Amino acid sequence: MAEAIHDALGAVLTRWTMGAAAAPATSLWKEALGDAPEEAELRLLALSGQFLGVAVTVEPPAGLRVLPDVPALALATIPDPLRATVRRILLSMKDARQRRDLLRFLDARGWTMHPADWMPAASDDDTPDTYAPWRDWAEASASPAARDRTSAHALTAESWDDFWPAARQAAFGELRRRDPAAARALLETRLAGEGADARLRLLSLLAPQLSDDDIGLLETLATSDRAPKVKSLAAALLARLGQGAAAGEDAAELAGYFEVRTKGLLRRTRIVAALPLKTPAQHQRRRALFGIVDIAGFAAALQITPDELAQMWTWCEDYIADAGIAEMAARSAPDALIAALCGRLDDIGTAAMPTLDALLPRLDRAQRMDFARQLLRRRASCQVALNITGGDCSLDGLIDTPAGAAIVVAASNSDAMRPAELACELLAFGLLASRSAAAQAMERLGRAGMLAADPRLDMIRLNAALENNGATG
Amino acid sequence: MAIDLKAVEQLATDQSSLKAAAGLAKPAKWSGTGISHDGALIWGECAGSGANPYRVMADLRDLGNKCTCPSRKFPCKHVLGLLWLKAEAIIPFPAADTPDWVSDWLGRRRTGAGAPKAAATTAPAAPKDLRAALAEEAEAPEDPKAAARREAAAAKRSEDTERAIVDALDALEQWIGDQLRMGLAGFIDDATARCRKIAARLVDGKAATLAGRIDELPARLLALPTGDRPRGATVELGKLVLLARAFRAAPRDADIRRAVATSESRDAVLGNPEAPRVSARWEVLAEQVQTRRDGLVSQTTWLLNLDAEGPRFAMLLDYFPASAGRRGSVFTPGEQFAGELAFYPGQRPLRAVLVNRSPAAQDGAPAGWPAAKAPLSDELTTPFLVEPWAIDLPILLPAGRIALDPEDRPWWRAGSGDAVLPVTGAIDGLLRGTNLERAAAIWSGNRLTILAAQTRWGRVSADG
Repeated sequence: MAEAIHDALGAVLTRWTMGAAAAPATSLWKEALGDAPEEAELRLLALSGQFLGVAVTVEPPAGLRVLPDVPALALATIPDPLRATVRRILLSMKDARQRRDLLRFLDARGWTMHPADWMPAASDDDTPDTYAPWRDWAEASASPAARDRTSAHALTAESWDDFWPAARQAAFGELRRRDPAAARALLETRLAGEGADARLRLLSLLAPQLSDDDIGLLETLATSDRAPKVKSLAAALLARLGQGAAAGEDAAELAGYFEVRTKGLLRRTRIVAALPLKTPAQHQRRRALFGIVDIAGFAAALQITPDELAQMWTWCEDYIADAGIAEMAARSAPDALIAALCGRLDDIGTAAMPTLDALLPRLDRAQRMDFARQLLRRRASCQVALNITGGDCSLDGLIDTPAGAAIVVAASNSDAMRPAELACELLAFGLLASRSAAAQAMERLGRAGMLAADPRLDMIRLNAALENNGATG
Repeated sequence: MAIDLKAVEQLATDQSSLKAAAGLAKPAKWSGTGISHDGALIWGECAGSGANPYRVMADLRDLGNKCTCPSRKFPCKHVLGLLWLKAEAIIPFPAADTPDWVSDWLGRRRTGAGAPKAAATTAPAAPKDLRAALAEEAEAPEDPKAAARREAAAAKRSEDTERAIVDALDALEQWIGDQLRMGLAGFIDDATARCRKIAARLVDGKAATLAGRIDELPARLLALPTGDRPRGATVELGKLVLLARAFRAAPRDADIRRAVATSESRDAVLGNPEAPRVSARWEVLAEQVQTRRDGLVSQTTWLLNLDAEGPRFAMLLDYFPASAGRRGSVFTPGEQFAGELAFYPGQRPLRAVLVNRSPAAQDGAPAGWPAAKAPLSDELTTPFLVEPWAIDLPILLPAGRIALDPEDRPWWRAGSGDAVLPVTGAIDGLLRGTNLERAAAIWSGNRLTILAAQTRWGRVSADG
């Protein structure tokens, strides 16, 4: 019966759509419609509307697909009572870098975001590896033809295709840390089958634990990979191992923009100083050369050793040259030379921050923490320290540093720091401090006159409330 | 931190505010009062003239304050009432963790600090007197003849209104017939202008609610896929015919009158012995705020009854002028509370006003959602058979899951596999990738709008 009405209503709707009377042309509800033409149309409309509104639902199209379950992560989601605070912190964050720091903070404390509050996109490369299954889920969701994959077992050449990209990258990174030779062997087998971007990402994961054993693979890639950016990265990694290209014309040209000279009263201190540039074209060329010459070649062209270059470089006189050599070093310097450069920058203090930024990816966690502590002792702000460590949340006694003291003063004296600056400092403080340091700060700031409910204290309050869930950080 | 009545007097903008505040400084008007552990912040919820209470908060250090009411006075009578309660210790302010809504306000007010000073400087010099505010006005003895005259006038007004509405409904039916004659294709293309015209006629005919509904009709129509609009137009116009006929048949029926003309005031509902009162544990499902074409903003709070007895859902509906600015949320989605609601009387009570709430249910683990009372097919159809002119109604869905069609549009598929329903709006993130053990949704007879769901990840709101 309902089917018959539904079929008959097709013609009724067609007539109404065109503006023709439908009641005379239909056999539906004849008795109920009556004889008066206008009344019959309204009655037919009421009955049709009721039927279509109650008895008819849209037929689902063929090919409905159900996405796989959002996977559980290795770490627990943050406790429910703290989720509202985390949501508010997320809302207050102005850029992706702050969000990344929050994710690292939670990761270091052994928790993850709740997926109802935040989930990464497939392209969020800078999220902690913990979130790789969610990134892969996001990628799988976006591709209707994606087949089910599991990443529950170990990454091997055979299981390679069973992993979604983010989980594979995380597993490969972990393998490289645990067994560098096995990771290299796996890469030799599987790298050629990946796209250029994936090859680049995987190759970059060889950087930690880089050794002479990797030279063969890197030489092959540096000479015969299809993608220039992969070739370039392989060459840079070779340079870090002291296998860089010999100083060529480019290195000589770059060296021509600098001079090695002596300075001081007795003219005994040798320095590398930038020569003044006269045209924008020279600036541009020098910047381009920093991007292609490796640091060993540059030193050789200056007729000094790389170690001497690290000691003789004149920092903070030509910031563009500083940035250039920092990027060059980050790309091509061995770990020991990076440490030597950082030692020099440490002497300079916060003025060297723009330069240090480029070198940060080459520092391990302990080096970063050392740096942050030293800078905090030298009156660097919490934001500067956070820039170095990320959301590490392990600094004790932070409120007793000059940065902490400045925050306490600003809490009681609104003229001591701009409100926006104070809010950023409090956020950075909360991301840096250990749990006990956060609790200590809450108490100290309360005494200084800040309300415990002040949302600017959200990050510190979260830090103090969030237990260590067993992660080592 | 202490506060005295003198400060309240100084803070008031005029004597009438002070007098109104005196009327609000009574325990029965307030719920959820509290004070921060450091004694600096106080807050509470005050029953106003709408379905939702107003959230009122104040900083005792500088008497900065905020209320969610639409009053243009600053501070409003609710803030003064809250401060009065504290100054006179009329009710206890238990020390508690600062609610998120108070923290949110605290965060926002930093940049606009100085508001209390502004209030002090801009306050008119009119004298204010606490004793006068407290004085009860003696009620004049009622004259029986005047009362009879008033009742007769009210009855005549009611008859006139009814006649005007019937005339307006005649015009509506004429207009509907015209739309059919001119073709639904043209109606769909020109729905906004045509609906505005008849809506204006209905406003003149005292059918204000119906006018608002017709004003919103084009938006509902245009939200449908193009191919489904003729069906949608037929359903919408058909419901209007049914409603017009229902009004003519029973003009005094409360449900129908509410759908056509106007709703009772909060006080009328509270004073109506036939209005069902339901005390239960409630969960806030969602809040929907919509700016309407008539310049009003509707604020709808959907509540789920977590107990076995009483209506499964409640809808707290308030309107305020868009010119009053954005109004703060009264509830937080997901929060549970024990409270008494008074429902507007009707065949299927849904709209309600909050009589009182207690924080008792806020302690301990949140209560689980109940199961649907009837099979899904009945849940989907029965309400529209009882109230065939209804636009949409809340329903509780059994276990199911979101599926996507080839164009990535979401559908809700029952776990039992016997129902697949289209979903309006975007469904993002987690709700796409987990089983929905239960889901609360608004059902329009054709499409679902998911409000919230219970999942293995806990309760998830559809709006994130």
